[in-house]
Amino acid sequence: MVRARLTSVVCAYGALALGACLAAPLIGSTHISLARAFDRSVPFADNVDAQIFFVARMPRVLTGAIVGSTLAAAGVVMQALLGNPLATPFTLGVSTGAALGAVLAITFGSSLAVGVLASVPLASLAGAVVASAIVYALATRPGRPISTMVLLLAGVTLNAFFSALILFVQYAADFTQAYRTIRWLMGDLDVGSFAPIVASLPMVLLSLGIFAFLPRPLNLLSVGADTAATRGVDVGRTQRLAFLSASLATAAAVSLAGPIGFVGIVVPHLVRLMVGVDHRVVLPASALFGAAFLVGCDLVARTVLAPVEVPVGVVTAMVGGPFFLWLLVRKS
Amino acid sequence: MAARQKKLIALAALLCLSFASHASAQVARRVVSLVPNVTEILFAVGAGAQVVGISSYDDFPPETKSLPRVGALLDPDTERIFSLRPDLVIVYGSQGELESQFTRTGIRVYPYRHGGIDDVLQAIRDVARLTGHTADGDRVVRGMQKQFAAIRQRVGGRPRPKTMVVIGRDAGELRGVYASGGVGFLHEVLEIAGGDDVFADQKREAVQPSNETMIVRAPQVIIEVHAGDPPASQVLEKERAAWNQLASVPAVRNNRVHLLYGGYLLAAGPRLGQAADTLARVLHPEAFK
Amino acid sequence: MLTAESVSFGYGGAFTLTDVSVEIAPGSLTGVLGPNGCGKTTLLKLLCGVLRPDRGRVRLGDRPLGSMTRRELARHIAVVPQETHPAFDYSVMEMVLMGRHPHLGAFELEGPADFEVARQALDATGTSHLADRRYMTLSGGEKQRVIIASALAQATEMLLLDEPTASLDLGYQLEVASLLARLNRERKVTMVLATHDLNLAASVCHQLVVMRGGRILAAGATREVLTGKTVRELYDVDADVQFHDRAGHLTVVPVKRIDG
Repeated sequence: MVRARLTSVVCAYGALALGACLAAPLIGSTHISLARAFDRSVPFADNVDAQIFFVARMPRVLTGAIVGSTLAAAGVVMQALLGNPLATPFTLGVSTGAALGAVLAITFGSSLAVGVLASVPLASLAGAVVASAIVYALATRPGRPISTMVLLLAGVTLNAFFSALILFVQYAADFTQAYRTIRWLMGDLDVGSFAPIVASLPMVLLSLGIFAFLPRPLNLLSVGADTAATRGVDVGRTQRLAFLSASLATAAAVSLAGPIGFVGIVVPHLVRLMVGVDHRVVLPASALFGAAFLVGCDLVARTVLAPVEVPVGVVTAMVGGPFFLWLLVRKS
Repeated sequence: MAARQKKLIALAALLCLSFASHASAQVARRVVSLVPNVTEILFAVGAGAQVVGISSYDDFPPETKSLPRVGALLDPDTERIFSLRPDLVIVYGSQGELESQFTRTGIRVYPYRHGGIDDVLQAIRDVARLTGHTADGDRVVRGMQKQFAAIRQRVGGRPRPKTMVVIGRDAGELRGVYASGGVGFLHEVLEIAGGDDVFADQKREAVQPSNETMIVRAPQVIIEVHAGDPPASQVLEKERAAWNQLASVPAVRNNRVHLLYGGYLLAAGPRLGQAADTLARVLHPEAFK
Repeated sequence: MLTAESVSFGYGGAFTLTDVSVEIAPGSLTGVLGPNGCGKTTLLKLLCGVLRPDRGRVRLGDRPLGSMTRRELARHIAVVPQETHPAFDYSVMEMVLMGRHPHLGAFELEGPADFEVARQALDATGTSHLADRRYMTLSGGEKQRVIIASALAQATEMLLLDEPTASLDLGYQLEVASLLARLNRERKVTMVLATHDLNLAASVCHQLVVMRGGRILAAGATREVLTGKTVRELYDVDADVQFHDRAGHLTVVPVKRIDG
């Protein structure tokens, strides 16, 4: 019964995600011919269609799929962990930490002239790790379950504190750096090559792997920590795994594409409207739907005002904001 | 009551006006500049000795090192500026609030507006006139016009390569690329130097092209301009190599990606002739043999 | 047999519970009585292993709870909390099936046998007709019966209930009370019922543990422990405790508060 539902939902959403990933590279501001793109007789360097397909669009679509998928799944896990449907992957400070790292790299990276520190993705990843480590250290005590209240407060406080630091660094930055920072904060999937994707894969796969163990414990956890414990859930361990895997997933996604908002909250809510609230169905469905959603939003971002592009974070916000208001009105 | 208020306001306005006209009759002796390229202009027209305060970002000419700093676009230190007792303050055109603050107290303000080369030349003439160096200003302007004309002549008749001028990019990768659009002094400098701007149709100062856009626009030359000093050679090589993934772009294929360093390339001031010269040499090396 | 031996516990600071010993015999229905804040809930949490005692120990048979995993414990002891507020709108069936958690492997999904257990639990609590409803749309009494069903689906020999009727009106209180009595009688489920409702305790419990200020005041068979003297010591209230013929059990009628 559960299995049949799980299978049908995963197949349906998998087909949707796959369809989006296959269709999106064919559509863009310029028309390309697939036949030419895959024509091996033309050297790659001379084949503009192949370049557009393999260098510009494929990495971009793949990034969209990976980022959409991890953010949506991390959103589901955070919401269950905090017992709060309004939580997002960014609630606990991970993205603000990443943003601080990115801002530091943008502002001071070139003057440091050290390749590694100048790299925006690496710096943002480091920022995300530092932020999660601080929140984790504040909210956990050995042998005790995590207090979600402390977790939430620590996350919200750290968000505010890091935001203040970002403003401070921004103030020291010059005009072009400040502008670049603002652009980074809007999110961008145009990674330009497969290398950043490959670099993020270990983290993404590890976090998705941990997610696979979480759904049933998360069901119980979202009913109440004590109830979960008496039903046989190791609450402390589940909370730690959920926090670490969701933070890791978020860190990977944000360092890859910037903090793209609303994916981590709109997708889980949409999916719950369609398939119910059982995390064993919601989690895989959100991961798949998140991929399709972000690939779709990016398709809009890069075509609607072509040749000018709309930042993808603006598109997700324009879809997400009204959807959320509708959800509120519908509930009240 | 209301009528009286109106009268008072009218009186105040009249006072301001008289102050302003009184001031404009005089040559500015103490100048504060919040705009780096205008500071450069001041020194170029021989008004350097009259400059008493500059922005936080000024670094040219070297004489600026010892001058007091009074903030910049976002954080002008009004108190500090007043304490320097200027009779001319040069602000950005967007700093309207600041402008009215000074005009109210009878200090003359020159609002600088960013634009094309003609705007730069006009700014040079204006600043020279306000500081009593009208003739020097005209000389600087004529000198630049002569430089531009010489470069035009030198590259004239040669095929003009489709060129993308990149003004910003994330270190080590093709992300966050900003390029000059079809408006502004950089665009015009490129046209003078004998290049066709690939984004000439984008009527904005800067565009953010995606990788797809860059592949489709297929520039024959890519010129990255950086304000700072050139980095170590292996960093330079790594940055140039970041472009290699756009293998079908002619500039990449024909090894015509150039990374240029120097504040003069991005300063809308007297050194634009030099900037045009640098670009022309990159675009048409054979014309300078 | 579930035993607590000289157990003391504090939430950091002074002990909330001091030197408490209880024995829960198989098949019994024990009430833990006392005013608010006397340590009933803490005792229950110690008995199910959610809290670990600072001193003394709790054993299930001859095994200390500390040596058992949560999963093992959950196959022996189920708990019904005072109120349950899920963050998401689960269906009644989903809520009840969550009781099967300790019997399923990490990636195992509920099979026909699990659904059968859940259906029986719904039957036993008279909530079969609610199976497809959303938990959040239920009334207080229905919710509590569903939570009891979920605990029953855990298929344990022991059920701990913390003030299961506290938020219910009179009708639902009686309904839940008779449900508990029936489950104890027919399914031989051992029960520990923490409550401050003297009449509820009188109506269903075989024996009582009476607590005050974190210590045990009295323990034993209901009719021996539940006296006017106990009520006076517990609440500073003068009360009539009499056997009520129509109800078939002791009843407590508070008369007045005793000052000082």
